[in-house]
Amino acid sequence: MASPGAELIQRMADGDRGAFAPFYDRFAPLVYPLVLRIVRDPGDAADVLQEVFWEAWQLAGAYDTARGSPEAWLLTRARSRAIDRVRSVRRRGEIFVAPLDEALAATDPAPDVAEQAEDRGVVRGALARLPAEQREVIELAYYGGLTQTEIAERLEQPLGTVKTRIRLGLERLREVVQRKP
Amino acid sequence: MMHEELESLATIYAVGALDGVALAEFEAHLAAGCARCEAAVRDHAETLAALAVADVRRIPPPETRALLLRRLEATAPPRADTRRAWLRWAVATAVAMIAAAAVTGMYVAARYEAGVGHMARDTAAMRERLRASEAMLHEQVARYAGIAELLRDPATRVVGLHGLGASSGAIGRVVWNQGTGGLVFVGNLPAAPPGKTYEMWTIAGGTPRPAGTFDVDATGTAAHRVAAPAGGPPVEVFAVTLEPAGGVPAPSGPMVLASN
Repeated sequence: MASPGAELIQRMADGDRGAFAPFYDRFAPLVYPLVLRIVRDPGDAADVLQEVFWEAWQLAGAYDTARGSPEAWLLTRARSRAIDRVRSVRRRGEIFVAPLDEALAATDPAPDVAEQAEDRGVVRGALARLPAEQREVIELAYYGGLTQTEIAERLEQPLGTVKTRIRLGLERLREVVQRKP
Repeated sequence: MMHEELESLATIYAVGALDGVALAEFEAHLAAGCARCEAAVRDHAETLAALAVADVRRIPPPETRALLLRRLEATAPPRADTRRAWLRWAVATAVAMIAAAAVTGMYVAARYEAGVGHMARDTAAMRERLRASEAMLHEQVARYAGIAELLRDPATRVVGLHGLGASSGAIGRVVWNQGTGGLVFVGNLPAAPPGKTYEMWTIAGGTPRPAGTFDVDATGTAAHRVAAPAGGPPVEVFAVTLEPAGGVPAPSGPMVLASN
């Protein structure tokens, strides 16, 4: 059984323009906070968001449910486009990650979709509950776009330590995500 | 590298932190079709996605929605037909090379695109170009007609090339089929100095084989056809070196582009 999101992508793949607006309305409030968290500037975030959804429309035919959820499909792309944007506007050394983005706080929260709201409690805040040194490296990498070498330099830690922290952190997140009811 | 070592890199890769030789080795390993590592990367991508899914939703600026819907109205609907999809992709690829845009493909994203390969980064400049000169693009597609044919073969893969050393700004891409050979596109490569030429190498089993010479045009781009190798193990690495004019049987000059 395809998820409602996957069905919308299938309709877009078939050229059904009517599927785009519901697709956007369903996923944009999910993608936008991630993009905003990475690029930080609301104008840049809107550009990236547009880019990501336009690509989704164009590449809907290439989406394969066997290869992942619509959320992962979209968010993986969004994260990478957002990092590209950050790298194009800032020199690497200037990239930094704020734990709570003021730009994010200034936006309107969207209502939760009822069917999705149940699992949130456990997973939300999972990153914040990681040991600080594990959270730090994952944030620097995933939201800050730093590579393992750059993180090691910044934190003045051996590369092996950085790799171990990323691995432990992500493993723990994985357990939290998979343990949810 | 042992498989266990490689598999342990899946986590680092999934958060986008892998770099250098480890990144090259891991991507080569994925490209070789390791289902276990691919599943691990996918699993981690789902974990990271779950974090965003659990996060508070935020409504994006309404202008973005309006812009997208207008853009949608202005475009012909995409064709469901696979051939068209391939062709569209080929156009995008050709455009990417011509525009010499920044085209570092994310492997995960590429795999989500169902093996289509590394998709061109849709830069603003590229979009403008695409809109401005559709006719020119069709012409380019005709020139690279072979690529569409090649892409219909499921055995065809697309391999990114990255500039090295003095040519670190160069980019490239190989559309490769072990049975029928492939096409190489490069961009942002400075013209070879007098008396020199660029030479392509296919490296299989650790042995580089010459795969023809080429020169770039005034805009620093080139398209080069590589014949299928006569037997032997599958090609693992593609590289371009700067060599004396006419080419040499074994690489001797500096490497300017290499696959990862």
